[in-house]
Amino acid sequence: MSNATMRETNRLTTSRFRIAPGFVAIAIATIALFAVGGLLAPSSVSHSAIVGMLPFAAVLAIAGLGQMLVVQQGGIDLSVAGGISLAVVISTHEPAGDDSKLGPAILMAVAFAIGAGLINGILVSRLRLNSIIATLGMNALLYGAVFAVSGGTPRSTTKLLASVADGTTWGIPNAAFFAIGALVVVSVLTKKTVAGRRFEAIGANPAAARAVGLRVRVHQTLSFVWAQLLYCLAGVLLAGITNQPTAFQGDSLLLPSVAVVVLAGTSLLGGRGFPISTVIAALFLRQLQQFVLALGVDTSVQTLVQAIALAVGVALYSVNWASVRRRLITPKTSQAIPV
Amino acid sequence: MTDTTIRTVTPAQAAQATVLDLTHISKLYSGVAALSDVSVEIRSGEVHAILGENGAGKSTLMNVASGTVQPDGGAIVFDGETVTLTPTVAARLGIAIVYQHPAVLPDMTVLENLQVSLPASVFDGGPDEEIAERLLDGVGLDVHLRDRVELLTVAQKHLLEIAKAFAIQPKVLILDEPTAPLGQASVDLLFSRVRKAVAEGVAVVYITHRLAEVRELAQRVTVLRDGKFRGESAVSAITDAELLALIVGRQLESTFPPKHETVEGEAVVFEVAGLSGDGFHDVSMTARRGQILGVSGVAGNGQSEFLRALAGLTPFTGTVTVDGVEKHGHQLLREAAFMPADRHAEGLMMTLTVRENAAVAALAKFRGWWLLSRKKELGRVTDTLQSLDVKAPSLDAEVSSLSGGNQQKVVMARTLLSEPSVVIADEPTQGVDVGARAEIYRILREVADSGIPVIVNSSDSKELEGLCDKVIVLSRGSVVETLTGRDVNEQMMISAAVHSTTSSISTDRSAAVPTSRAGVRRFIQGDYAPSALLVAVVVLLGAFILTQNDRYLSAFNVSTVLLAVTALGFIALGQTVSLLLGGIDLSVGPLSGFLVVIASFFVNDKKPVVVILVGLLLMVVVAVAVGFVNGSLIRFAKFTPIAATLAMYIALQGLSFVLRDGPDGYINSDVVAVIQLTVGPIPVAFIVLVAVAVLAEFFLRRRRWGWRLRATGSDEESARRVGVRVNRTVILGYVLTSLFTVLGAVMLMGQIGVGDPSQGVGYTLSSITAVVLGGTSLLGGRGTFIGTLLGALLITQLLNATTFLGLSTLWQYVFQGLLILVAAVAYSFVRSRRRRAAA
Repeated sequence: MSNATMRETNRLTTSRFRIAPGFVAIAIATIALFAVGGLLAPSSVSHSAIVGMLPFAAVLAIAGLGQMLVVQQGGIDLSVAGGISLAVVISTHEPAGDDSKLGPAILMAVAFAIGAGLINGILVSRLRLNSIIATLGMNALLYGAVFAVSGGTPRSTTKLLASVADGTTWGIPNAAFFAIGALVVVSVLTKKTVAGRRFEAIGANPAAARAVGLRVRVHQTLSFVWAQLLYCLAGVLLAGITNQPTAFQGDSLLLPSVAVVVLAGTSLLGGRGFPISTVIAALFLRQLQQFVLALGVDTSVQTLVQAIALAVGVALYSVNWASVRRRLITPKTSQAIPV
Repeated sequence: MTDTTIRTVTPAQAAQATVLDLTHISKLYSGVAALSDVSVEIRSGEVHAILGENGAGKSTLMNVASGTVQPDGGAIVFDGETVTLTPTVAARLGIAIVYQHPAVLPDMTVLENLQVSLPASVFDGGPDEEIAERLLDGVGLDVHLRDRVELLTVAQKHLLEIAKAFAIQPKVLILDEPTAPLGQASVDLLFSRVRKAVAEGVAVVYITHRLAEVRELAQRVTVLRDGKFRGESAVSAITDAELLALIVGRQLESTFPPKHETVEGEAVVFEVAGLSGDGFHDVSMTARRGQILGVSGVAGNGQSEFLRALAGLTPFTGTVTVDGVEKHGHQLLREAAFMPADRHAEGLMMTLTVRENAAVAALAKFRGWWLLSRKKELGRVTDTLQSLDVKAPSLDAEVSSLSGGNQQKVVMARTLLSEPSVVIADEPTQGVDVGARAEIYRILREVADSGIPVIVNSSDSKELEGLCDKVIVLSRGSVVETLTGRDVNEQMMISAAVHSTTSSISTDRSAAVPTSRAGVRRFIQGDYAPSALLVAVVVLLGAFILTQNDRYLSAFNVSTVLLAVTALGFIALGQTVSLLLGGIDLSVGPLSGFLVVIASFFVNDKKPVVVILVGLLLMVVVAVAVGFVNGSLIRFAKFTPIAATLAMYIALQGLSFVLRDGPDGYINSDVVAVIQLTVGPIPVAFIVLVAVAVLAEFFLRRRRWGWRLRATGSDEESARRVGVRVNRTVILGYVLTSLFTVLGAVMLMGQIGVGDPSQGVGYTLSSITAVVLGGTSLLGGRGTFIGTLLGALLITQLLNATTFLGLSTLWQYVFQGLLILVAAVAYSFVRSRRRRAAA
């Protein structure tokens, strides 16, 4: 009997699908949000509301995936705003309404993205700059490029881009397919390839990765390049979705991109990334906006709810709940806690 | 027989008073006894040496004596009274300890290190510099008071630590292996200093491994082994052989696999010749096929450094040959499997799973067509883990949830899967339970039998005796003995280590720098170099603009620019505090906007003065609350500073919009007039800003408050050891950041004149830019308020310059971006050169 159980415990098992606790939390919260929306503000879950919300959720999801890759390496990317804004103005200004010039414009945006990512990466991994400083400087340079391209005046997009980015297929906004595509690519690359697995290992512990002989700096650099490419995709989509994009279109995505990464459970100290949860978190934040709008409450409440969601999310991962429970169950009698 | 303890007390020594009496001390670490029933009497006016092997319990006993560790049993009697020791109590009673690893703050100067660590009373009766000089002279430490401690050699840091211990004129002085990093001249000076202190009646406890030092310095010796008392004697009444017999003879429960049968003519598979590097010198050894090589010696004598070089992690000179092929460092890094001593720091990816950790070094072997083959990976990983008998809940369990022994087996599985050309194991059984140890020995032996050379470092001589075929003994980085065959035993290893008299190869004098250049060098390496650079840039830029446009220095433009500096300036001063602590406060921007929104309800035209004052008071109260919440989230809820202040950022932005959905609530025009008052072309607010920055700078450099702040940011653990209350310092730091932001908000209120919920947010990033330009490090511990002020001035000047030079917005961004990147790269470059110079 005991022998059998011994063998049982010694056998190393694995399951095909692992469910991260962060995924459960954010998925339940999102489902609850839709359910509560259906009860309290039915217009927030109407077909038109959701179709209107999805493209913006998709853009946030793609930007969030990029931010996630940088956060996985223990960094943070403030140049997400400049990167997206630059892609927006390049894909609107360069073609100037001419569909045939859209292709070269997007290629140009991609080239800028790769350049910006490489510089960020080299500054952080080779010159050992703090990622906050490096990407803060890069953000300003990218905005310089934004003004060089556009002069700061908005212009609307080409018909082709609008029809692709803002169109629907089978009643679902195209942007959502782009987001799912980005999700699949990021997931497969990080979870299923040799380079991706090394990438996650380096993020989890660079010192150990170096001791194993992995090329830490190369992977750290590439994280910024991949991130910029994703911002570029987000920017091009955003250019098609928005009628009159401004030169500062990316600014409003900076904090939410960090927020979705944190909500998804990726540690700001680096390590494993949670792409699916990141995308769901983007959906959650955008639907929250819809819900609050439909309720007719002041939009500011939505910002507060975001802050609370973020704080609760971080607390779930940061606080040592086991020790809190212990302390609550066995309260120390009349012991003053020094503050 | 060996267990009979020797207690001989001569009448002369019995007369000396017992200062510190440790009686029947026991200490358990997770059920394992580190000390059991140990009693030591420390008498004034004598040097009492504590001898024992690695892990015999010496350091634990001294941590009990200095109050950093609380014993589980026994009593501590000081001057006849039973006491409960904490570090604070111990310091008050006059118990000083010099740790093996000095508790110094690398970013602060030598003088500041003394000032923050020592009670203020030490500096009574003279200028601080004079007293500090005297303290350094006392231990023969020849450094400049304004040198950054980061630049000191290990030996110099150690001398600084010793100076701190002598400074409080202790009654009991505990020295833990003090001579390990010191050169001969410093050792002689230290010994004479100790003799002088003893003559004055100080009780000295001297922990060492070296019999020669015991003979030279101590009057009394106590030997520990396995956490137990083995004997005490007057030094003059015991021979070296008797002492050695007390030290060795540990019992080890593990069983070892049979050793390699040496056959003549077997191929040499591994050869190290004349290897030198940081911490070790001219090490040579060879291994034949099937042999396990051991590296022995007293912990910290270059063994770990030697192994790290073999693993390709640190540079070396000399040759390493594996299977007849000479290997370079980068080849070793890839081909050698290194099992680090510190599994948490560099052994495992603790947040990843057992499977991921085991597979990480061999991923390329699991490639299918172009994706990883799950089948291949699982097959190989499971086989290997099971052959090593790893006990884990599942392959998907986080590796941190495993016991130490199983974690080490995961490291070994990774090693085996990577098919290395050599295996280098640093303390392979540290933190591993007895059962798993035997299995680890077996696996290492199997690896060696398969023809892969295995090199093991262990602080446990008994382990090396059982495991290895050949052992080199290192002392102060050099080989003092090579043991083979029957000589591979504990007795021989310990004997070689304790009889060694080699002195440390590291020098405790910094490379001589001509004094005329030393001042320049010190300035460039100091905190104020960025400030000087900024002044130069500001002046040059101003001169250039003046040549282009002579209205640049008009009274109107000067007062416009200087007024514009104030809001950013105050907020950036606040940000400096957070960055000095090694944190960051993203919420300053929205906080400034929110405070203006609050003010817009109170500070209006036709409101009575009382209401206006209430409004201003409310701003302060809200700011204090925000800072307190930020700090508490970081310290108590363990949020990262970015996460905590990001949540606060979003919340404050939301609150602003809750109070006002658009610009409304015009600010009292009289108040605005007061805020914007000028003296000539200079705004009063700017004068206040400069005064506040200078005052803050003074407190940062010259007052305990500033030292504590920088100490916390520089090295939290060392700060705690020198008595800084870290939690309180950090939380008050964030409160201070918010209070500076109040001043910034007042200026912002004057500039925009209305409660606008969308204003202020941009100050978060621009304040960080200003602080970084000023030379404050994001790593914490170093920086200046003056530099921040200049950084804010330069940013504002630059924005103003583009309009004056007729440049487009484009250039505003490009200049800002280039400025911050160039500054950051330059500062980082200076810093890394500096560190390389020190190493």
